[in-house]
Amino acid sequence: MTDPIAPIPREALDALPPETTRLGRAGRALLSRYPVWPVIDYFRHKSVPQHRHSAWYSVGGIVLFFFAVQLVTGILLMVYYRPSQPWQSVQRIVNEVPYGNVVRSLHHWAANLMILAVFVHLFSTFFLKAYRPPREGTWLTGLGLLGLSMAFGFSGYLLPWDDLSFFATRVGISELEKAPVLGTWIADLARGGDDVTVDTIGRFYPLHVVVLPLLVMGLVSVHVLFVQLQGMSAPDRYYALPPERKKSVSFFGEYLFAEIPIWLLMGALLAFLATFFPRGLSPEADPTAPAPPGIKPEWYFLSQYQALKLFPGKLELVGMVLLGGIPMLAFALPFIDRAIPTNERGRTVTGLGFLALMGLVGMTIWGWWS
Amino acid sequence: MNYPVWDVPGIGAGLIVAIIAILHVLVSHIAVGGGAFLFLAELWARRQPDKDRIRAWLKRYVTFFLVYTTVFGAITGVGIWFSIQLASPEATSLLIHQFVFAWAIEWVAFLGELTVLYLYYYGWDSNSEPRQIFLAGAYFGIAWISLVVINGILTFMLTPGDWTLDNRDIAAGFLNPGYFSALSLRTMVMFLLAGLSAFVVAARVDDDQLKARIVRFASYWVLPAAVLIPVFSYLFWSRLPAFSVKLATDGVVGLAGGKLEVMSRAIWLAGLTGSLVLLGTLTFLLRPRALTLGAAIAMLGTAQIGIAGAEFFREMARKPYVVYGVLYSNSLWVRDATPAKLREPFLSRARWHPDPPALTRERGEWIYRLQCASCHTRDGYRSLTARTEQWTPEFGFQWLETMDANGVMPPFQGDAEDRAALVAYLLSLRGKTIDPTEIVRTAPPSPRAPSAEVKP
Repeated sequence: MTDPIAPIPREALDALPPETTRLGRAGRALLSRYPVWPVIDYFRHKSVPQHRHSAWYSVGGIVLFFFAVQLVTGILLMVYYRPSQPWQSVQRIVNEVPYGNVVRSLHHWAANLMILAVFVHLFSTFFLKAYRPPREGTWLTGLGLLGLSMAFGFSGYLLPWDDLSFFATRVGISELEKAPVLGTWIADLARGGDDVTVDTIGRFYPLHVVVLPLLVMGLVSVHVLFVQLQGMSAPDRYYALPPERKKSVSFFGEYLFAEIPIWLLMGALLAFLATFFPRGLSPEADPTAPAPPGIKPEWYFLSQYQALKLFPGKLELVGMVLLGGIPMLAFALPFIDRAIPTNERGRTVTGLGFLALMGLVGMTIWGWWS
Repeated sequence: MNYPVWDVPGIGAGLIVAIIAILHVLVSHIAVGGGAFLFLAELWARRQPDKDRIRAWLKRYVTFFLVYTTVFGAITGVGIWFSIQLASPEATSLLIHQFVFAWAIEWVAFLGELTVLYLYYYGWDSNSEPRQIFLAGAYFGIAWISLVVINGILTFMLTPGDWTLDNRDIAAGFLNPGYFSALSLRTMVMFLLAGLSAFVVAARVDDDQLKARIVRFASYWVLPAAVLIPVFSYLFWSRLPAFSVKLATDGVVGLAGGKLEVMSRAIWLAGLTGSLVLLGTLTFLLRPRALTLGAAIAMLGTAQIGIAGAEFFREMARKPYVVYGVLYSNSLWVRDATPAKLREPFLSRARWHPDPPALTRERGEWIYRLQCASCHTRDGYRSLTARTEQWTPEFGFQWLETMDANGVMPPFQGDAEDRAALVAYLLSLRGKTIDPTEIVRTAPPSPRAPSAEVKP
């Protein structure tokens, strides 16, 4: 067998730092060919601050875990899903394909839990003020990922083509249609016509399985890269501590291993939900039939849906402008609240964020029960 | 049926029993397995050069153990009694009368457990070394006896073996076909949980070297148990009634239109979570510093989910009985399930209910409460509104008569008027107004199907 080090000049190996001996002969041979040691060394020294709010750091990892589950279960579903026969193929997955119903239920629950985790991640980041400079980029890409996650949910919901998904999508797009200026154009573009038809699936399917995954993977990479480069944000009190009292743990040596059991628990939770609350399939969508009573969007759109009901008739436009302003404000946040440590404006922003959270939860519950 | 019904909207009485019982299983299994852990940890600690430090940690474990097992164990234990006698009075009565001495032993064992545990805990500093070790060992011995007793009664319900209502052979019922495999299985689960709960207390140890040693010691409880649990599960599986096995295995590809049946999914859930617990423990062993409180609780939570799956399977495997082959889930004795008796008007045999007029929706509601509500709810868990969505009055009327044909449901008790009243009630849950008299008048004459005969 050829010695992997033999072709490498002795000087190249000697130039490697002494710590690389732990990588073994093959590892050092690779390093002498591909000089990535500075990158590895950077990650070796990456640490995670430890303070009373450290537990919130786990939520980002949980989102990634659910996204990974989505990729795997999504690929498995694609094996049997046929966009030309959407309902029939999903029915086959549910009733005939071994473990098909479990895989579909896992996909359904991981989607919901992923969006929930994204919201939790957003608000924990908000209240820990991790959006402030120099982390504007992390915040903005995170907001983008929230939008993409919701788009994932919206586009995936239609794919089974049962009456629930059909009418909920029709309601959702008709709300979009009411938006000023571009509303009609965007709605027509999404539907592929005046109404939701199989042509809409022709649009939603590639969006769901190609465009959105690529966008999310790209944006997640940038988001995580920012976190790696800038380190994890910590509360002001942590920064104010003297160096000897600042506790931290090694990211790859310790933190990542402590996260594994959390992901395992999330996996068990997903399996539990898929076991005892499997996703059902309603009758095939019939566009000519009247909508079943009580059709509503999925829970992550309910707050907006319910809030718009507070602006009936001509006031609806006002409601849309006000609701549209919320994401705009979220994007502008790092440029409004820049102070470290927290000043008066920072405290006001926190209060407004608390109100927004209460509004989101309250409207969702109201929409659920109404 | 001889007791006022317990009509729990949305959740159903059966699910309440299941939730309390599954919580109790986690607590009680830690209570027994933790006893063995205490005993061996006492021996281990006293042989270590830094025994005081390790015993200081062990004291924390005992504090957690004592509070957790006595408080939650007692609450959930009483909760089980409270709920089962409301959900299934007939079965509760059978179990009490049949195993009265077993219950007495179990309660004495419980009292003994508590007494010894308190002597052990409050004598921590004053007891001599041999006495302290003896108390730890005695605690485990007594606690395990409670398992030995309860296991006989639990397995009796699924595999009563040669026990019948005629011979009432206590030994045959207690040492039934599933007894020893279930006892071994539960003992292994107890050791696994003892190790996992030790992780929770070890998470707060600051000294990395001590933490690593405790993690290693606790892993010796989890890893062998995790390997042996599938072995004993298989032995238990091999003792199950053939029809339970058929229900679970057919579910993978065939039963009920091909869906992976909930019983099959529950087995899958238990197996998956077992593997996850194994992975988590190996992670702790590889990187003891990764053992944080959150990580340890996550593993205990994962095990709890697995136990929920396994216990759910055990409960569902009894379908359609409460005591296999003896008593149906709707409190109908199998010996009473003769065609002639089944056709008698139902409410005339049941007690503790008003007597609404025949062929009315109100009568149907009382039949629902007395025959359906121990497993189903109107519109929540195992919703009858959803299950009757495709029903026409005629279909429902005929279906009820032979609903036990596939072996999953118990036989319906009552005459044609009872069936019509129940159909009218169930369809009224979706806002349909049906006249039961009309159902009976238009129904074709249909002799009771042969399936009313007793199922094996």
